[in-house]
Amino acid sequence: MMRALAIGGFLTALVLFAAVEWAARREGSRIPSLADVCAFVMRYEVGPVPVGRIGFLGFWWWLGWHFLAR
Amino acid sequence: MDHPRELTVEAPRAWDRPVVSVPVLICLSLVGGQLPSFSTQANLYTLGTGGALIWIGLSNRVPRRPAPHRLPAGAAWWLLPVTVFGVFEGTTFVLSMGDDFPTFSLLADPLLEDHLVRSAAWFAWLAAFWGLVRR
Repeated sequence: MMRALAIGGFLTALVLFAAVEWAARREGSRIPSLADVCAFVMRYEVGPVPVGRIGFLGFWWWLGWHFLAR
Repeated sequence: MDHPRELTVEAPRAWDRPVVSVPVLICLSLVGGQLPSFSTQANLYTLGTGGALIWIGLSNRVPRRPAPHRLPAGAAWWLLPVTVFGVFEGTTFVLSMGDDFPTFSLLADPLLEDHLVRSAAWFAWLAAFWGLVRR
């Protein structure tokens, strides 16, 4: 029962990701695409340090290591 | 004779085109898909490919697509899937009930044991990484 709940929850999240991305790609949409949101976050800098860029790329590196090497 | 600045667009480099980058990513993914979990090779390969992409991404070696200066209010819609995923991942992680109430990682592990699925996951990871590097 709890396992089905977890699977259902994660599937719901994935479907929602796809649905919002689909809505973002419609003509005249006011929702930015996931790529645009990522690009905006990656622009964040503290002084000369590209904190957003380092954080995002580092997170993605860790994610790949976590799923594909662990 | 000087040209107006907006007319002088840098031509994309040959290796920066999809016809080159996609086959390279496919080759890298097929190799990665053959490496088993928890192996030294898988660790080194992941750290090597990811490290190379981070180095490219932080060293301004590839042209980047322009990023938006502001996000419209509709960006808040992204909080919905992020929150749902975060609630389930956080709850399953904190409760630590194993296979009875598994985290996303536990659910993904058996799927990633198949070489083809693993290669597809490698391709998705590398393609998204390449996309981030160019942003």
